[in-house]
Amino acid sequence: MQITRRGVTSGMLALGAGAIAAPAARAADDQAKLYEAAKKEGKVTWYSGYLNQPICEAVAKAFTAKYPGISVAATKTTSQVAFQRLMQDLNAGSVQADVFSSTDAAHMTDLIAKDKLVKYTPPNAAGLVPSIRDFNGGGYYRAGWVGLVTLFYNSKQVSAADSPKDWPDLTDPKWKNKIAFGSPNYSGLVGVWTVGMAEKYGWGFFEKLNKLNPLIGRSIDDAVAVLNSGERSVGICSAATALRSAAKGNPLVVNYPTSFSLADLSPAAIIKGSPSPNAAKLLIDFMAGPEYSKILTDNYEQSLRSDVPPPKGAKSLADLTLFQPTLENIEKELPGLRSKWRDLFNG
Amino acid sequence: MSAAHAPPFSVRRRRLQPATVVFGLAVVVLVFLIAAPVARLLVASFQATGTGGFTLHNYAVAWGRERNVAAVGNSLLYALEVTILSAVFAVPIAWGISRTNMPCKGLIRALIIGAFITPSYLGAVGWILLGGPNAGWLNKVWMALTGSSEGFMNIYSFGGLVLVTALYAFPYIFVFTSAALDLVSSEMEEAASILGAGWWRTIRRITLPLVLPAIIGGAIIVFLDTVALFGTPAIIALPSRIPVMTLVLWQFFETPIRAEAAAAYAIPLIVITLAMFSMQRLVLGRKGYVALTGKGGTRTLTPLGRYRWLVLGYALFVVGLAVILPYAALAQAAFSRAWGLGMSWANFTLENFAAVLLEATSRDTILRTFGYSAAAACAAVVLALVIAYIVTRRMVRDRGLLTLLCMAPLVIPGIVLGVAFYATYAPPPIALYGTAAILIIGYTTRFLPVAYVNAAAGVRSLNPEMEDAVRILGGGRLRALAQVVVPLLKTNLVGSWLLVFIPAARELSTALFLVSGQTRVISVMMLDLSENGSFETLAALGFVLLAATIAIVLLGYKLVGRDFMLRRS
Repeated sequence: MQITRRGVTSGMLALGAGAIAAPAARAADDQAKLYEAAKKEGKVTWYSGYLNQPICEAVAKAFTAKYPGISVAATKTTSQVAFQRLMQDLNAGSVQADVFSSTDAAHMTDLIAKDKLVKYTPPNAAGLVPSIRDFNGGGYYRAGWVGLVTLFYNSKQVSAADSPKDWPDLTDPKWKNKIAFGSPNYSGLVGVWTVGMAEKYGWGFFEKLNKLNPLIGRSIDDAVAVLNSGERSVGICSAATALRSAAKGNPLVVNYPTSFSLADLSPAAIIKGSPSPNAAKLLIDFMAGPEYSKILTDNYEQSLRSDVPPPKGAKSLADLTLFQPTLENIEKELPGLRSKWRDLFNG
Repeated sequence: MSAAHAPPFSVRRRRLQPATVVFGLAVVVLVFLIAAPVARLLVASFQATGTGGFTLHNYAVAWGRERNVAAVGNSLLYALEVTILSAVFAVPIAWGISRTNMPCKGLIRALIIGAFITPSYLGAVGWILLGGPNAGWLNKVWMALTGSSEGFMNIYSFGGLVLVTALYAFPYIFVFTSAALDLVSSEMEEAASILGAGWWRTIRRITLPLVLPAIIGGAIIVFLDTVALFGTPAIIALPSRIPVMTLVLWQFFETPIRAEAAAAYAIPLIVITLAMFSMQRLVLGRKGYVALTGKGGTRTLTPLGRYRWLVLGYALFVVGLAVILPYAALAQAAFSRAWGLGMSWANFTLENFAAVLLEATSRDTILRTFGYSAAAACAAVVLALVIAYIVTRRMVRDRGLLTLLCMAPLVIPGIVLGVAFYATYAPPPIALYGTAAILIIGYTTRFLPVAYVNAAAGVRSLNPEMEDAVRILGGGRLRALAQVVVPLLKTNLVGSWLLVFIPAARELSTALFLVSGQTRVISVMMLDLSENGSFETLAALGFVLLAATIAIVLLGYKLVGRDFMLRRS
């Protein structure tokens, strides 16, 4: 590397003028340029497979408040439908979505392999919880939502002392005809949980569960309704759904399992060749920022940042023991586990 | 939409008449609406995932597993039992309302059609609250009364699945049968009675045979609709460990997505539609079912004496199972802050209703859904009537093909049809991404079969001589259609309209593919609410839909006016 006078001078200047301020100023400058370019696009389209439509709308509103002149057209469906629509758009050569987000990280692997994603590291990523920050597919996506799978119980029927504290507690015969959970054949979140349980406790865990005649629904959230109805009393849930229902006064209590809660990091990414590439970058950056995490915690979802505290009664990601099966492992194991699940539970 | 695709009828200008244009247009619209997406599905079923090359692999994936084949068997048995139970529920009540002096008719009819709007998710959860083996209300009452340690019913069973499905499907047969019974003149029944036949023999030999095409039409719709149903099986069949076809189908959309295999699994279901029609032809044969001859037919109500309370009792029993009991159970959620706490004054609130009715986004969603469904219902009724007329009056060749086209969309499960609709209508050249039109077209197509079957049964009951009279007097086919057929089939058409409007308002699987943030509909909102754990709001929404539908039905029948055949005593 050649040392030039100009190089030395600017290096000295940088040191002198504050080595920290200069990159920050440059970053702010970059953001301002990005905003200018994005404003010309005026609109960013987001296909979401997570959160729900009202929360997506809240995100859209907060984004437009921060970046006037750019609206967000958010459409929440299920991850499978969002991905199928995206693929059909791509095949038709007419990209609609600028940003695509899914509870199934395998969708991103597929899109990366097809060279359909834009690499981008947003400035706000620096403030994310480390485990969230490092989940980025080599720069192709960011985590925009964390699904947290935990235990929960109906406190009208089960006392705190008696409640299951850790995953293996569920296999206690006293829970015969009392357990409810979802199916990995219909729910991505239950799929990740299935891989996690098989990895930690082996397939025998499910065989033991099956002897207790569990009630198996489709979505992970079906168990919340089943427990509230009193038909079953312990189950496996997405912590946010159970906490939201409990916040209304329902007799549901979330137990974060002592050995680990199961985390499913769900990615968001920018689609290559989309109509608003700059606004898409701004939205991805916004999703890594504090305003977005605040919207999440307002809705009892997990905060992605250490500077945004968790909702009342919930634990922050930093205080939890998390386990997430690797993406490679999920992709390798899940199809086989789904098939075994069909044979064992007939569903 | 169809103007751009105007048919090349100029080549046949020498016999171009207004009627020909209208009928030709209807056929073109049909091709656009149905043939295009179905053809796309058919092609996709032979395409390799990713590359698009020709393959038979999808069929091997879809049908190569014993489990998948067995699921279709389960679905057929399920649909058959639902159809039979629906007919048992529907036909006696339809007879009671149409032909007897049973009391409380308007209310019963409104409640039955109200039951129809109940989203399958809500109806199923209502029945879990009633018939759950551990905590179901009915089981608790049973245990308290008999001292038994176990309940008498388990909703998580094949029988439970059939019951819950039939309770929300029987209105199809009810509306079809009522419409037909309304058109049967009493003269034939009176003749039978003069010749010494008792009332039971009269029903068996005269009334029932005359409305048989309508009952069979309704039964076919219930059968096909049940085969393609996902909602109730997802809540009841899955936990009961009963694999049915739609449950298998949804698994093709989990990663790795195999939409092509899903198409290969769904396409052969069209054969079921064909089988239904062969069966219909076999049963109905070449017999005539002309009920309305225009010769001053009138209808008198059979006085039932004390037995009218028996008929009312049966109607209340069915309506009780479909509406009163499950909604009583759901009230626990709709009027509670937290439904898991059970009913108490401290827990009572109207906030859930406020959330549904007063918040702009949810109110807009409800109004929008009703708007889309109403538009689809109008389109489907007009199209169905024209096509049914063409087919029934044998105005074209290839009537079988036309009928099959009209019927195919119902048996193909919504999720697969949604994929095909999206692929056909969303991208250029049609480019309906995110518009209201794509949803309206989707609904029209999906529920055209219902309107078609009902319209066909109606036209079949009309004596063509009445239309011939118009033509002899110099009127055209269109005039005959507009001034004879439509007025005579008034109640039939209202029935068709409701039978498209209501399922469209609750349709989820197709809508999921076609909505955008700006065109969100009730069913998608309900999915959000259920995944959000907001069951209280969801239940309140169910009550609002029930009330709105009952109001629409009462108003609708009032607008249609007095039944012209009913002889006032």
